[in-house]
Amino acid sequence: MSDRTIPRLLQTPAVILLLIWMIVPLSMTLYFSFIRYVLNSLRRPEWTTPALENWRGFGNYSYVLNAKDFWFAIQNSVLIVTSILVLTVVLGLAIAVLVNRSFPGRGIVRVLLISPFFVMPAVNAVLWINMILDPVLGLQGIAVGGLNTLIDGLRDFPVLGAFFSLWPELQPISFRATQTSAYAVIMMVTWQWTPFAVLIFMTSLQSEDESQKEAATLDGAGPWSQFINLTVPHLARPIAIVVMIQSIFHLSLYAEIEIVSRGNGNKNLPYLIGEFASNNIGAASATGIFAVILANIIAIFLLRMVGKSLMD
Amino acid sequence: MAAVTERSKLGTIIWPVVAWIVALIFFFPIFWLVFTSFKTDADAVKPEFLFFFTPTLENYTNMTQNYDYWRFAINSVITSSFATLFALAVGVPCAYAMAFNPSRGTKDILMWMLSTKMLPAAAVLYPMTFLTKNFLGIFDTHFLVILVLCLINLPIVIWMLFTYFKEIPKEIIEAGKMDGVTTWGEIKDILIPLAWGGVASTALLCFIFCWNEAYWTVRLTTIDAATLSKLIEGNRAPEGLFFGRLSAVSTAAVMPIVVLGWFCQKQLVQGLTFGAVK
Repeated sequence: MSDRTIPRLLQTPAVILLLIWMIVPLSMTLYFSFIRYVLNSLRRPEWTTPALENWRGFGNYSYVLNAKDFWFAIQNSVLIVTSILVLTVVLGLAIAVLVNRSFPGRGIVRVLLISPFFVMPAVNAVLWINMILDPVLGLQGIAVGGLNTLIDGLRDFPVLGAFFSLWPELQPISFRATQTSAYAVIMMVTWQWTPFAVLIFMTSLQSEDESQKEAATLDGAGPWSQFINLTVPHLARPIAIVVMIQSIFHLSLYAEIEIVSRGNGNKNLPYLIGEFASNNIGAASATGIFAVILANIIAIFLLRMVGKSLMD
Repeated sequence: MAAVTERSKLGTIIWPVVAWIVALIFFFPIFWLVFTSFKTDADAVKPEFLFFFTPTLENYTNMTQNYDYWRFAINSVITSSFATLFALAVGVPCAYAMAFNPSRGTKDILMWMLSTKMLPAAAVLYPMTFLTKNFLGIFDTHFLVILVLCLINLPIVIWMLFTYFKEIPKEIIEAGKMDGVTTWGEIKDILIPLAWGGVASTALLCFIFCWNEAYWTVRLTTIDAATLSKLIEGNRAPEGLFFGRLSAVSTAAVMPIVVLGWFCQKQLVQGLTFGAVK
């Protein structure tokens, strides 16, 4: 036995398992994407079982490309993922800097801040869309109602009343419309993942070279220019990590979309696949292949960016 | 100079206050969930009972009756624990080999493993349902849920373990080899004691991800192996009228993990950074 045999043997189970996990379903998806395959068809019952005779070539692909929902779903996926990334990184940086000094109760602040990260996504969505954002029963509805009553009361005051009577009645925002529900999803996922960014940035800030900062202070650099010129470059690697890990999780965002967007037209790519899969498996599989391609493009880009720094 | 000191004095008061406010804002939704769980369904939607109400445990005592909570909870515990166990059983040897006997391909294998995490689950959902229902007959079994949870978390588990193992000085292992320790002995007597903390935090994070997983667990189960994610997703329909009981069951579903997270946050961070942040 050579020196290499044992290490290889130790890696084999993991590699084989992941290989099967990747290849078997993926090749089936690839196969289904080239045939006509629907779950229910009264006129063409032969299409309800997968068979090579139902070969459709690239028919499913062109069908999907021509579906107007497809481009909307891609656009929406990109919008949702990018907004979440930008918001979590910016908020995460701000909060990490804020918490990165000692003050009374810092431990408790940390615990409070990290909590959203451990909440189950399904609960996160149910909680936000119903109890917080609902325009009538949620906190939003109650807050808007309260403000309206308050403004109404102020109108009776002399002089000031004239000013307040110019104010229009506030309307609560419904987060169940196509576009607004995307914002609701962005909001709830940002809430959940900002703590993750904060934790990572905080860890990194603690290793920042303080003497460099002191030297900068002596040279007359203000706190802002110190932050931009010293802290941000120091955080380049953690930012890359935050972006990479979040992309992995958010590209396949589903539970939140499903709970918030039921039937109102808001969708991302995984959700569109789910919609197709209720009957047209061929189209769902073709969409799936597009999703895989999109994920791969992003994966290659991200892994290139982060991969190097991970290994040393 | 005087201005600077004045400003930083003010800063020492203002910034902690801001930090506290931000932390409370972030925690508020969780607080609200727990808070609402002590209101009756009728009180929960009335603005006049927003903050002041007669607390009741009714929602918790009725949880079994309304939602059959315990069955889902037990399924969550079983599937998450076994999935974590299996992921470690496969992941520890693999990460060990990669960290201590890296070859030229190691980096590529690691990258490839992580890239399997990026495959959109939705793309392969139908084949998985098809295979497990029609051919393997394991749809809606604990075995299937455990297998899937194990596989989707395996890349992360291996990555985390790899970054922990990499930190262990090789000399210790070399010295063990000189003394004629076998590979198994190496793992058992040298590696495990040294890497215990890393393995434990990996297990924790894996368990949390398994518990919160809401795609496969919802779609590959119907009743027998359904977990808490399925319970929450399945009962969101009549939400408007049942804020109280929905809050109670949601609280019961998330609090075990949130509390676990509180105790282990320090250990979790290092693993989550994939070793790239020191």
